[in-house]
Amino acid sequence: MLKGKLTSLVLNFLILAVVFVMAFPIVWIVMNSFKEAADINAYPPVFRFDPTLENYKVLFDIADAEASSYGTLKVEFFKPVINSVIISAGAVLLSLIAGVPAGYALARYNFRAKEDLAFFILGFRFAPVLLVIIPMFQFFQAIGLYDSYFGMIWVYQLITLPMIIWLCRSYVEDIPVEIEEAAAICGAKRPQIMLQVVLPLLRPGLVGAALLVFLLAWHNFALGLILTAEKTPVTVALLKLLNPGISFYPVVSAGLVVSMIVPIALIILGQRHLERGLTFGALK
Amino acid sequence: MATVTVAQVTKNYGAFTALHSIDLDIDDGEFVVFVGPSGSGKSTLLRCIAGLEQIASGMVRIAGQDVTTVDPADRGLSMVFQNYALFPHMSCRANLAFPLKTEGVEKSEVSRRVEEAGRLLSIESMLDRKPAELSGGQRQRVAIGRAIVKEPKVFLFDEPLSNLDAALRIKMRVEITKLHRQLQNTIIYVTHDQVEAMTMADRIVVLRDGQIEQVGTPHELYFHPANLFVATFIGAPQMNLLPCQSVASEVGKTTSIRVGQDTMATLPIPNVELTDGALTLGFRPEHVEFEKPLGDSVKLKLKTDVIENLGAVTNVHGQVLITATDEVDVTVSSHSQAVFEVDKSIPVWIAVENCHLFTADGTALPRDVEPPTWK
Ligand SMILES: Nc1ncnc2c1ncn2[C@@H]1O[C@H](COP(=O)(O)OP(=O)(O)OP(=O)(O)O)[C@@H](O)[C@H]1O
Ligand SMILES: [Mg+2]
Repeated sequence: MLKGKLTSLVLNFLILAVVFVMAFPIVWIVMNSFKEAADINAYPPVFRFDPTLENYKVLFDIADAEASSYGTLKVEFFKPVINSVIISAGAVLLSLIAGVPAGYALARYNFRAKEDLAFFILGFRFAPVLLVIIPMFQFFQAIGLYDSYFGMIWVYQLITLPMIIWLCRSYVEDIPVEIEEAAAICGAKRPQIMLQVVLPLLRPGLVGAALLVFLLAWHNFALGLILTAEKTPVTVALLKLLNPGISFYPVVSAGLVVSMIVPIALIILGQRHLERGLTFGALK
Repeated sequence: MATVTVAQVTKNYGAFTALHSIDLDIDDGEFVVFVGPSGSGKSTLLRCIAGLEQIASGMVRIAGQDVTTVDPADRGLSMVFQNYALFPHMSCRANLAFPLKTEGVEKSEVSRRVEEAGRLLSIESMLDRKPAELSGGQRQRVAIGRAIVKEPKVFLFDEPLSNLDAALRIKMRVEITKLHRQLQNTIIYVTHDQVEAMTMADRIVVLRDGQIEQVGTPHELYFHPANLFVATFIGAPQMNLLPCQSVASEVGKTTSIRVGQDTMATLPIPNVELTDGALTLGFRPEHVEFEKPLGDSVKLKLKTDVIENLGAVTNVHGQVLITATDEVDVTVSSHSQAVFEVDKSIPVWIAVENCHLFTADGTALPRDVEPPTWK
């Protein structure tokens, strides 16, 4: 009895320790985002302060230029958030359109060098992004895709497409082929089988997979850094906040909090699907 | 309704030939069962008929029409799969309605026919549940229901009962038989359970290694197996086999054989050859008698070894001494309530009309016997 209690006490303590380690930076950033510049560098650090929304106002340029303690500064953080949403969502959408049929084909059809091709696709996940960035930069400038949404969505396929293909392949493999055969014998043609049987069965898995790769796309930094100037994603915009030489940490904190909102909201909304997407396919 | 004709169908998987030029004619309204050991090509043949597999050569005709290159959707068949293959994301009602919707049947007609099928299979109360919320037997009914709503020309079943427990299997077996009597469809049914085959089939097709060994009624397969394979495959416990010699006798309606040194018998099996030759004598365990029968018989000495008392039947496993050194394992079944003891040597008899003879290559010599019929 005593031993059981002790074990659970120790375990609970360990869980708390893990939560503390993981949550502390987030809590700290959230706190910083509500502090005034003077409190940020206070030593010892202050935990009780008068929260202010000024950092957020600066971030979105709604602070009166005079009133802002940073003087006149244009941040316009709203734009990179929108950029990131457009690029990430666009990349996920394109990956689904291209990746679901590809994953299906890899799961269901046999063709020469199939496994080699599948592994080649997965290989992009392992290749360092920097490897492709320099040639991409020149290439994009040459054909006018530099700093365009379409160009960004396109290169983001490097991140999103292999994952979608591989996850989709495993979800399709989890659907017994007899279910498709049964549909065929019931009189359904290929498109009908895909739309009415396969896709509905893939849906829970695909929602999870889409969420997962959206997060991967959202967090990407290097591609946006090199390939955009105006259409920067939120990760790059955060870095730019650090440039002005003055202590800009509270506004950076606010930016970090804002950039976390979209993924966190998605994770909360799609938690159920995310677990499914990571652990298994549509059935069983 | 519909006949099914399979003509010289060959199926390859890469270098492996799963079906060797199969020929088969199935009559309208017939209940045909494919049996054979695992890997013999039963499912493959069924799937070729369904159009789920491309055949290398040959032709499949359904209702007189060449459907060799026709899509499964347009062959006018239904199929019940071993793992049910219900659509997990649809209610049972939607599952049943699916084949009708693909045909563009009118809504009111769809629901009428779904209700009717539900009633026929006593699953009306479960129609609004998802397949995952049903037991195996109920799922199987839904799968059968989905097959019958379409009122297909031909029904295909691939081991539909093998995932059910023994009691349910017997119940469903009877129900499928009744369903066949009611609907009068052509049914092709795959199983490796020979009891299912014997009880349900009008005709049985025995397959081995992608070839047809024999096609016949259950009665024909039991009384006139074409070869050693069919003889031992049909019937449980399986037919006993003893080496024997044909001894010179006149060409005629009988064949004389010698088993071991001193057992001689003349069997009512027309002889084709006069030369002495090695043959195999076959007899079923249930045809072994423990008292000398009235007519001619083969007498053997059985050394009892293991006794299995199943209540209605007692199976006695033992050995028959052919020569001083040669023993052959033999099983006999007794339907009397006689008590047997192990390690006893008892005389047994097999009436000559219950004997089968096989040549060295396994072909059966045709028997000139029919069982008595009671009218
Ligand atoms: N997709 C496939 N690729 C390669 N070989 C296959 C394929 N499907 C079946 N075979 C082979 O074809 C042969 C016949 O298989 P089939 O499934 O028809 O056997 P079966 O008689 O139905 O056996 P079971 O009683 O085990 O279901 C087997 O040797 C099997 O290994
Ligand atoms: Mg099979």
